[in-house]
Amino acid sequence: MSDYLRAEKQDGELQLNLSGDWVFERLNMLQTLLDEIDPAAQQRVRFNCGGLENFDLAGAWILYDKSMDLEEQGVTTEFEGFKATHFRFLQHIIDIAARKEYIPGFFDPQPHHYWRNGIRTLGKNTIDAVDSVGLIARSVLDGIVRPSRLVIGETIRQVHATGAAAIPIVSVICFLMGVVLAFQSAQQLEQFGAHIFMVDLVANSIFRELGVLLAAIMVAGRSGSAFAAALGTMKLTEEVDALRVLGLNPNQILVIPRVLGLVIALPLLTVFADAAGLLGGAFIGATVLNINALAFTERLAQTIDVNDVLVGLTKAPVFAFLIAVTGTLRGMQVQGSAEELGRLTTVAVVQSIFLIIVADAIFTVVYSRIGF
Amino acid sequence: MVAEANHVISIRGLVNRFGKQVVHDDLNLDVIRGEVLGIVGGSGTGKSVLLRSILGLHGPNAGRIEVLGETIHYQRPGPCTRWGVLFQGGALLSGLTVQENVELPIALHSNLPVETRRELAVLKIFMVGLDLTAAAKYPNELSGGMNKRASLARALALEPKVLFLDEPTAGLDPISATQFDDLIKYLHANLDLTIVLVTHDVDTLFSICDRVAVLVNKGIIVDTLDRIVSHPDPWIQEYFGDPRAVRARRATKQRPVD
Repeated sequence: MSDYLRAEKQDGELQLNLSGDWVFERLNMLQTLLDEIDPAAQQRVRFNCGGLENFDLAGAWILYDKSMDLEEQGVTTEFEGFKATHFRFLQHIIDIAARKEYIPGFFDPQPHHYWRNGIRTLGKNTIDAVDSVGLIARSVLDGIVRPSRLVIGETIRQVHATGAAAIPIVSVICFLMGVVLAFQSAQQLEQFGAHIFMVDLVANSIFRELGVLLAAIMVAGRSGSAFAAALGTMKLTEEVDALRVLGLNPNQILVIPRVLGLVIALPLLTVFADAAGLLGGAFIGATVLNINALAFTERLAQTIDVNDVLVGLTKAPVFAFLIAVTGTLRGMQVQGSAEELGRLTTVAVVQSIFLIIVADAIFTVVYSRIGF
Repeated sequence: MVAEANHVISIRGLVNRFGKQVVHDDLNLDVIRGEVLGIVGGSGTGKSVLLRSILGLHGPNAGRIEVLGETIHYQRPGPCTRWGVLFQGGALLSGLTVQENVELPIALHSNLPVETRRELAVLKIFMVGLDLTAAAKYPNELSGGMNKRASLARALALEPKVLFLDEPTAGLDPISATQFDDLIKYLHANLDLTIVLVTHDVDTLFSICDRVAVLVNKGIIVDTLDRIVSHPDPWIQEYFGDPRAVRARRATKQRPVD
């Protein structure tokens, strides 16, 4: 056997001589040693603890556990040779174990009710969303009646944080998208010798769809997550509760500036996105496709009218509203733990991008029906 | 430097500076095996910085710290299976239940079967006076006192030799605070523990500490309670001359020895 545990058989009983350190660090090894002990035909097992040097609760526990297992098999167990300190540990454990009672459900896995929970979540989310939109509408109305209640400074700060600060990244993305569109369409149109129509394709798709869509998705990633994380942290640190106790409406102070700020910022951001996209198309036209700036603008003026630009720009406030409401709502739902904050921030971003795409599909169908 | 055998912690020439502000200047401290050492000091004297330096969470500007014979380096694991820390706010992981919180260090530092792990965790939870109902709860569902107990259970999970307590009774009502003091006394008597605690609570200081370390003048003065109360340093005089401290001291003296 080993230095820690030596088994001796003496007239009808098994003596286990324990020695060395029975401490947590060696617990794996000690447990395997104990598992190998099989009393076979012996009726009594004697633990001789005289040789123990260091001993701690974990070591004591596995010994106690083993003795309980043996007792269950009908073997009598006995401890001897304890030093005073050792015994204290064991007595302690026995005291504690005596108090341990079975609580139903604690160690059993809970049954899963996927369907029931799914429907419940759907209902709860719907109610929350309606509730939140209602609260925002009420706060905005309140703000219109009494403008002093609108937190103008914070709203402007949000316009800067969500709009102005996003101009570089959104512009770069849209510029590259213009480049890609120009290349791809030119390759197809070349076959008919009609590569000037590249301008139509780029301009229409950027103005009607891609400019606003890319800006909105970028903003959902940047600001939707920021809203959820900021409000969620404020919930966790009880800042939201502090506002409530002070008699201030957290919706008015925290939610409305973000919603209004984004509703103002996203259309403006879309203008930059559109411009950058066109620039990308024009750049490729001038450098690769032999369509110089003059030809590009001429064709642009023929193909685009103000409706096309408005189609994109009218979508922007709706997308902004969806992003801001989802982000702030999820942030306000954070309760209790940091994990929850992370989960709800993810949910905020995924849901707002999903809602943007759904809304865009609806817009496209409706606009094409009314010929806008 | 050779640490003496019975010194669990030894600090030599510790210097901590923040910009031009010097917090510790050539600080030396020895903690003897089996004692309960209380660290006190006014705000800004660097109690937390000292604790964080010992735990390797703060890199000192100079000096050498040894805990259980291992030299502590900034942000490197020290004797982490042999020390336990109770943070002021509890610092339980909020996404796990109390049971899982206590089980986590056991699971990560051993490959015991799940059942043994669970039993050991439950043992620790019982030891700090919680029950299975509390074990199934998440930290945000616990009261302040239960939260402290749960994080004490986690600190004890790996059978530490040294226990660090940062403001163990802060934020507790007097009854819970006394109960918590008693719990610490009980654990100290029953486990082979050396305890270092940072505290503001004079009651805790008088009821459980063997020696007191006072941070004054960028250094430290360590002595037994009986002797330190008559130390000439003005801050110490003011601290132990305060009516609350006097009351606490008198109360401890009247308490029957248990």
